[in-house]
Amino acid sequence: MDERPHKAHRPAQSGSKAEKKKGKGKEKQHGFNEKACLAFAPRSGRRADRQGRRNVERDQTRLHVPLVDRTPDDQPPPVVVAIVGPPGVGKTTLLKSLVRRYTKQTLNQVQGPITVVSGKKKRITFIECNNDLNSMIDIGKVADLVLLMIDGSYGFEMETFEFLNILQSHGFPKVIGVLTHLDLIKKAATLRATKKALKKRFWTEIYQGAKLFYLSGVLNGRYPDTEILNLSRFISVMKFRPLVFRNSHPYLLADRIEDLTPREEVRESNGKCDRTVTVYGYLRGTNLRLGTKVHIPGVGDLEMKSITKLGDPCPLPDAESEKRRKLSEKRKLLVHAPMSDVGGVVYDKDAVYINVPGSFTRGNADVPQGEGERMVMDLQDVNETLEDAVAASEEGSEDEEEVLEGSDFDGDEDDFESGSEIDEGVEDAGSKKPFEGRTAPRIVNRGAGGQSSKHERQNKEVDYADSDSDLGYNDGDEDAYEGRRVRFDDDDEVDVDSGEDEEELSDGEEAPRWKADLSEKALASYKQNARSSKRRDWIKLIYSSSLSPEEIVRGDNPDSSNSLANEDNADDDDFFTLRPKTASVLNEDGDDTTKDALNEEELKQWEDEELLDSIRHLFITGSSSQPQGGDDGYEDLEADGDFEDLEAGDGDQDPSPQVQDPEASRAAELAAKKEALKRKFDEQYDDPESSKMDFYEEKKDEMARQLQLNRAEFEDVLDPEARALVEGHRPGSYVRVELANVPCEMIEHFDPMYPIVLGGLLPAEERFGYVQVRIKRHRWFVRTLKSNDPLIFSVGWRRFQTVPVYSLDDHSIRMRLLKYTPEHMHCYATFYGPASLPNTGFCAFNSLSGSSPGFRVSATGVVLDIDRTTKIVKKLKLTGVPYKIFKNTAFVKDMFNSALEVAKFEGANIRTVSGIRGQVKKALAKPDGAFRATFEDKVLMSDIIFLRAWYSVQPRKFYNPVTSLLLSEKGSWSGMRLTGQIRREEGLKTPLNVNSTYKKVERAPRRFNALKVPKKLQAELPYASKPKIMKPQHRQTYLQKRAVVMEPEEKKAIALLQQIRALRKDQVAKRKEKQGERKAAHREKVAKEEAKKGEKDKEKRKEYMRAAGMKSKREAEKEEGGSRKRRRNE
Amino acid sequence: MATVSVLRFSGHQYLRHRLVLSILSGKPVRIDKIRPDDQNPGLRDYEVSLLRLLERITNGTVIEINVTGTAILLKPGIITGGNVTHECPLSRSIGYFLEPVVMLAPFSKKPLQLTLRGITSNDQDLSADLIRTVTLPHLQLFGISEGLELRIKKRGSPPLGGGEIQFLCPIIKQVKTLNFVEPGKIKRIRGIAHAVRVSPQFSNRMIETSRSVLNRYIPDIYLYSDVYKGEDSGKSPGYALSLLAESTTGAVHCSEVVSRPGTAPEDIALLASRALLSEIKKGGCVDRKHQTLILLFMVLGSEDVGRCKMGEPTARTIQFLRDVRDAFGTSFKIVPSDPSDPTSSELLFSCYGTGYVNANRSLA
Repeated sequence: MDERPHKAHRPAQSGSKAEKKKGKGKEKQHGFNEKACLAFAPRSGRRADRQGRRNVERDQTRLHVPLVDRTPDDQPPPVVVAIVGPPGVGKTTLLKSLVRRYTKQTLNQVQGPITVVSGKKKRITFIECNNDLNSMIDIGKVADLVLLMIDGSYGFEMETFEFLNILQSHGFPKVIGVLTHLDLIKKAATLRATKKALKKRFWTEIYQGAKLFYLSGVLNGRYPDTEILNLSRFISVMKFRPLVFRNSHPYLLADRIEDLTPREEVRESNGKCDRTVTVYGYLRGTNLRLGTKVHIPGVGDLEMKSITKLGDPCPLPDAESEKRRKLSEKRKLLVHAPMSDVGGVVYDKDAVYINVPGSFTRGNADVPQGEGERMVMDLQDVNETLEDAVAASEEGSEDEEEVLEGSDFDGDEDDFESGSEIDEGVEDAGSKKPFEGRTAPRIVNRGAGGQSSKHERQNKEVDYADSDSDLGYNDGDEDAYEGRRVRFDDDDEVDVDSGEDEEELSDGEEAPRWKADLSEKALASYKQNARSSKRRDWIKLIYSSSLSPEEIVRGDNPDSSNSLANEDNADDDDFFTLRPKTASVLNEDGDDTTKDALNEEELKQWEDEELLDSIRHLFITGSSSQPQGGDDGYEDLEADGDFEDLEAGDGDQDPSPQVQDPEASRAAELAAKKEALKRKFDEQYDDPESSKMDFYEEKKDEMARQLQLNRAEFEDVLDPEARALVEGHRPGSYVRVELANVPCEMIEHFDPMYPIVLGGLLPAEERFGYVQVRIKRHRWFVRTLKSNDPLIFSVGWRRFQTVPVYSLDDHSIRMRLLKYTPEHMHCYATFYGPASLPNTGFCAFNSLSGSSPGFRVSATGVVLDIDRTTKIVKKLKLTGVPYKIFKNTAFVKDMFNSALEVAKFEGANIRTVSGIRGQVKKALAKPDGAFRATFEDKVLMSDIIFLRAWYSVQPRKFYNPVTSLLLSEKGSWSGMRLTGQIRREEGLKTPLNVNSTYKKVERAPRRFNALKVPKKLQAELPYASKPKIMKPQHRQTYLQKRAVVMEPEEKKAIALLQQIRALRKDQVAKRKEKQGERKAAHREKVAKEEAKKGEKDKEKRKEYMRAAGMKSKREAEKEEGGSRKRRRNE
Repeated sequence: MATVSVLRFSGHQYLRHRLVLSILSGKPVRIDKIRPDDQNPGLRDYEVSLLRLLERITNGTVIEINVTGTAILLKPGIITGGNVTHECPLSRSIGYFLEPVVMLAPFSKKPLQLTLRGITSNDQDLSADLIRTVTLPHLQLFGISEGLELRIKKRGSPPLGGGEIQFLCPIIKQVKTLNFVEPGKIKRIRGIAHAVRVSPQFSNRMIETSRSVLNRYIPDIYLYSDVYKGEDSGKSPGYALSLLAESTTGAVHCSEVVSRPGTAPEDIALLASRALLSEIKKGGCVDRKHQTLILLFMVLGSEDVGRCKMGEPTARTIQFLRDVRDAFGTSFKIVPSDPSDPTSSELLFSCYGTGYVNANRSLA
């Protein structure tokens, strides 16, 4: 190394660069803010102004329409991260790398969703999407984040663009691009150029600045760890904005599916009976309630039989186990992937497979054992039969826990027993059990410590409590009250009291003695009434008792054995309810009246002054403190803090029911008031802006408050079953949904590589009708779309084929049918199908099969309207001809077939081809369908008369759900074909109607008869009107009569001219011949050149094909290599 | 595969809210055993008329009535709204028809302009006055306010009727979630006394008497005497007093008494005022006659928790709650509003809205 110093930089002294520099320096010197050389201070007033305005504008663009995020904060469902890309791009490799990054486990076989814990508050469900368009559509509807993989060495493929278009029409989830196979590009310059070009294209597709990741090469079957770490960091900081559709529908990405149909039934029906199927997964979106329908794309609409909340198989770390900042290593091992082979266990639709690497001997304890293996080992130890085990577990599942200690998967015994692969003998015993004993939810035991056991306890309670009593969730409440007050039905004292009341009242009816101690009675009965109502559990009475509403109002108790005896008491206790007699009378004649009949007797109570005074506190003029004369019953009522009056300001601030002495309460009141005023003043004085919120803040605040209320309202409901009844199952919970009547093909042809999505439907979406959409043909789709051609729509959760009819609004008068979609314009389409809410996006396809060439997304659009009828019309022209013409009237035939038809069109406007307008008047008797019409002018016999009418068109009622999941080959779904397609495939000729063929039109020349004016008339005509008829000339003309004799010079001259002409002719002929020769030579030359060019083309094509061949070969090799690698791993 | 679940009910009672629930939820409803043991079995004329009215404000509704009229099947279409005129039979008042329409109209395709002719007030159903002064303000709690109007063109008393009302209702996208737990204190009392085809002094006498009862509570009492003359006063004589009490938080309680032959206006007014007092005493934020309306709109609210404090439910409300569970799968949580106070009979109804969106509203 020599120590020679580098050459110093010498700035240019002349030339453009030096001038530029000079100019810059000068400008710096004089300016607006020249003294203060602050970095971001504006340099001029105008610029300051502009900057200020720009800042304000930028602030506004930051704002988005506030949306409610319904995912719970405490236990959010795992984020769905879908890995999408063409085959061979490295999806599985990426998935394995990511799973390894999070869980330190290597998966051999990736199938179905894989859930991992990625942080203290975050879980991720990874799912790989195969290359089938159906899967891409379903994944696009549930993914929160898409890792879009692109082969860097090849570029974008059609599927990528198709997928992006699908995403766009179903609410755009977040997308991160991942470029792979970059190691195949050897030259650095090419690599840089490729990256730049792909990034540019990617940005135009998503948005400017969309994140694009580069993964270089594969090491040990995985991507480099640092790159994956970076990617995982990006994934974990991703924020998700709620999408409108998903925020209004519950949904679930099934990570496991199980067939519960009794085996016997399946056997009897040859496996063709409808199945009962359970689907497991994390609930997302909104609350899922029993009673709504669900749709599984690819299968259809299904009824839910039951929903059970299960313990979380992949729980978030809880507080006590995670005091540290980072996830503990133990946590990191958590992965839930029932369809893959984590820990050697794979759950299939009806079996559990346990993968054991070596042989099954107990001896070699030095070989590390996976969960699956240990499970099998444990099974060998089992001494008792399954029935015993189940019986034992039902008593108290302690032993069960013991048996399954340490097993990673939920230890429902019958589950892996029915797995049948292991032990045939046990299976017999187990085969019946699952379907009766499955009331208890699966108990998850993953060594997650306190949390899971807590779940267990809860669940146990749910299942072993009898269903009637656990619906009323404040049983405990009741007990609490029991301490103070005795129960209604077993209390003698109350009964006796009310019995007295009854007597008194009945007495009163005979003699007007009732007025005497009215106030006391009123009070007593009021208290009674209140107390009895208090004690009643309204939820239980209404939802889980068989009492009629009248009985409930009367105050019957469902548990009371002697309800008849009670009825009488209760009736008299109640002041304002109907007497049983009147009530029954009313019901007999029956009617659904809104106003109850007034009971005048009862209203007479209000003559009493005391009673009138007793409600004074309900008015603003009434004092908030109690009337002194009142009994304790009133006092209690009045001390109620709910009657706080903010406006009057003298509201009762103290909600405690205790009676205080008035002085103290007044003082407390005053203090509270002062306190409030002080707070208000402080707020305003400190920051006057803080109390004032802009619209955006206000809305956000409102939403936050509502969400807070949502959370708080049902918190106190302890019983989870009752809670589910009221609010449904919350998103984030791991549920098991039992579905009835599932087509058997779904189970028979189940393939874990195809995602199963369970989407909840709103009530409106279960119904069918005509759906009007705004549609635009995709500009990359090459063909136009034709009315009445079948099209596959993906709207909401569904994918279905239907027959749309296109139309366009014709001057806001009518919807006019279009035969084809317009070229670069939106139009309307109307089809028959399941309704979806207006403003739902959709995309449409002509074919979903992978073999269809070109871009498959044929149209996109949005739902506008749903209705039961349509108003699309097409033009219809009825033509006729006049057969008799009077002045302005003509008789027209050939337009209609009968007088009835004419009657329908009386008064309709008609027109001739020449433009004379008229009207249909009345049918004529003679030729059927002829009518009299009047016109604005006389029509000609030769005119054609037409009537322009509008004929309404109904779209065909065709709806064909895409049942791709029911097929053995999922990608080969084919719906209704076009007639032409069928003919082509069957090799049939199009039938030709002879009348429809084009023939030469033979038009006879029109002959006009000569106009003949009778001689007599001619004679009478005035001269001007007289036909001027000339007689033909009968004599020869002067020239005709003369013969021509030429002079010799003339003859000579003519002969000369003839000769010149002959010469000229000859010359032209010769010239033509020569030109022909030249042309031929030229043609030859051109042909030669053409041939040369052709050869070159051929060469080029050959080159291209060779390259393509090589690529495909490489791909094939790669695939083979991959499989070989897999084999090696096994 | 996609079987449509049918709501099944029996009995002639509660027909109206069952039909409403069916139309809103889109589930077909089958009601059988309609007065099977009656001397005159089957549907009454007003019930048939109601079915006709519902068919007219909807599109694609199929109604099948069996031969004896003891069973009906209604397959609901979509609610269209628009301009509709309907003649109500004289056996029930206009209120019978208007109540279900009020529940449906906000969810129609086009704003509804409904003209009903018949009896405007009787003692079975809400009168046109109450619907105007009480029902419509209740709708405002749910964000249905602009363009909501009820015009009483003519009054018609039983038995001959001759009244006419016009009901205008706007459409909405989604009802607001209700959170109404402060009953407040009564701040004003309003009332309408009307007397048609009798001496105009009658309404003044009613006002006088009513004031004698109510004046002790608050000074802000205005009782209007509503005068209709000539053609507008219907075909039969009659008079009525409807009262409503409004609280500081907007809770409304109401009562109404309609004249019967041989009753003095003073008695009517006395009854009405006392009924109002007993209504006020029962407490809650919502009038008892409107419990079902409020509960329905709470169920139809967005997927949030709606809360409302009410008095004890009536039999109608109880059946309605059960039917709502069948139609929408929503149950309410009903707890005493103030557990610390054993004497209060007020209950807190809370439910999780279904997120019902007006799917009929068109975008184009």
